[in-house]
Amino acid sequence: MSLEIKSFEIFCGTGGVGKTTLAASRALQLSQKGLRVLLITIDPAKRLKDLLGLGGDAVGVVTKVELEGISLDALLMSPEKTIQRMASQFHTPDLALNRIVQILSRPYGGMNEILSLVEVEMQFESGKYDVVVLDTPPGSHFLDFLEGLDKIKSFFDQSFVEIFNYLGKKTANAGKKVFGLGLVNRFLSSGLKKLLSYLQGVTGAAFIDDFIQAVHIIYQSKDAFLKGLALQDKLKSREQCNWFLVTSVEQGKAQEAIELKSHASHFIHQDHYLVLNKCLEQEMESWVPTDVKLMALKESLSGREKKLKENLRQNFPVVLEFPEVISLSPSDHIEKLTQKWNSYAP
Amino acid sequence: MNFTPRRLYIFTGKGGVGKTTLSKAFVRYLTEHDHEAVYLTFRNQAIGHSHKGNEDLLKNGIREITLDLEESAKGYIEKKLNSKIIGSWIVKTPFFKALINMVPGFSYLIFLGKVLEMGKENPRLIVVLDAPASGHALTMVESTSNFQSIFESGTVFEDTGKMLARLNDPEYTKIHVVSLPSMMSWQEAIELKSGLKERTPVEVDITVNNCLYSLVQDNVNALPTGLRDKALNEKQLIDSHQNEMRCILPHSLANNPLDMEMDLVGSLSKLI
Repeated sequence: MSLEIKSFEIFCGTGGVGKTTLAASRALQLSQKGLRVLLITIDPAKRLKDLLGLGGDAVGVVTKVELEGISLDALLMSPEKTIQRMASQFHTPDLALNRIVQILSRPYGGMNEILSLVEVEMQFESGKYDVVVLDTPPGSHFLDFLEGLDKIKSFFDQSFVEIFNYLGKKTANAGKKVFGLGLVNRFLSSGLKKLLSYLQGVTGAAFIDDFIQAVHIIYQSKDAFLKGLALQDKLKSREQCNWFLVTSVEQGKAQEAIELKSHASHFIHQDHYLVLNKCLEQEMESWVPTDVKLMALKESLSGREKKLKENLRQNFPVVLEFPEVISLSPSDHIEKLTQKWNSYAP
Repeated sequence: MNFTPRRLYIFTGKGGVGKTTLSKAFVRYLTEHDHEAVYLTFRNQAIGHSHKGNEDLLKNGIREITLDLEESAKGYIEKKLNSKIIGSWIVKTPFFKALINMVPGFSYLIFLGKVLEMGKENPRLIVVLDAPASGHALTMVESTSNFQSIFESGTVFEDTGKMLARLNDPEYTKIHVVSLPSMMSWQEAIELKSGLKERTPVEVDITVNNCLYSLVQDNVNALPTGLRDKALNEKQLIDSHQNEMRCILPHSLANNPLDMEMDLVGSLSKLI
């Protein structure tokens, strides 16, 4: 088996399986080969953040990281910083100033997935990198991430947007909040008019005003969001993207990996790899316990791992096994895992 | 045994730490102590995709509810506007789909609203919520106050205000962060706990699950090197942070989720 070098590598899977460490060690391995690599990560634990030098001021800023004597670029996603970059790159300063956009792009405001797509695309377009390695948000949020592409499309759905764009212009030109039911009556199709009047009953008129302003401003930056759509084709293409679905023996959740794969079946092409982390098999093979309780432990641990591997091999063309690294130091983890990557892709 | 439980228990933590098994075991524990408890989880699917509706089933002796986003949203709007037709129409409009899909925090608002409504309808009901993993738990807890600042006025504003009052009431709500006994997982749990504490005044406790050391402490030296180091690292972690751990649960030898739940039930009194 050989792992080809592609422009994008996507790591996904449930949280706590070691996804970030695996992505970081893969990024390091690619850098060791002399490639220009950017590692984008979502929210690693503090120790890993420290190791990657991504704490404090570095959040949301591409940072040079020294790992095992090799330097590579790393970026810890900050939705707020991404919005600011979009505003400056696409000359839409209002985007970074709108109240609703600001609230939604707080670290936990909920726009992380969509904005990480935009970020990946902007970084790759900069031409500075041969490979962008992306560590995705955990679990089913990976699905949000994939669906993010469709969300962008539906958000900019023409029939919906033109009306708001028009209204937004009216609102913006007047320089104050003039939007109300009167304006709706004059300009809107009866369906949307009804919808807004109902929504107004629930949310209050001020929100409708603010929201339309926000939509208008986001719409002005639609080029940046729509760039995310261009990414969709690249991720789907076998020539441009490797997919790594990560799970761990510790979790023993073959089912989740299989479900992830089937949910994402229209994205994931033949070049996908199941990465099984924290394998204990080698360790177990040479162990002959004499105590009854320990025999039960060995039986339970080996049994679970064996069953898991059989199940995974039936469902995935390639299973890459990584050993459980027992060490308190994150740099040991990265070093050991990088060695393992080298054995898979010399 | 006499105890007055809270009305809402939220279990969160990184994926794979055993939240689901633990939440279900906790429902069993409450049920065994004559409380009316229900296991609840969200199906956070994008609106417009195929959906299965809300589910409310009795499985292996406990009540399991799965809330579906579209159905919960429809129910909320129906109630507010007093019309089923308008409710189902609104959730199908592109405007509404776009709003919900673009702003995931909004869906948590709808789910939490539904959870609190269930609690209001049945004053004896205890909801055990198997919540989304780490960062998304913060999104969830933050969604109510974010939407408070977005809406500023109106019915949703008033409703989120009521929700905040409940969620932030230490008598009503308690949060359990579940962690594995590894340094990495522990630090994440600590970060999550402090993130949650910044956002809510309710009690947040950390439970350490799947602890190998607790199972084999008498014969750690009979383990092969790697496992022994693992168990000893766990011991070191437990020794230095025991005060911050509400509950330490041993590794289970069971080989299916139901038996694991049964294994845990006896050790959960501290989670009340």
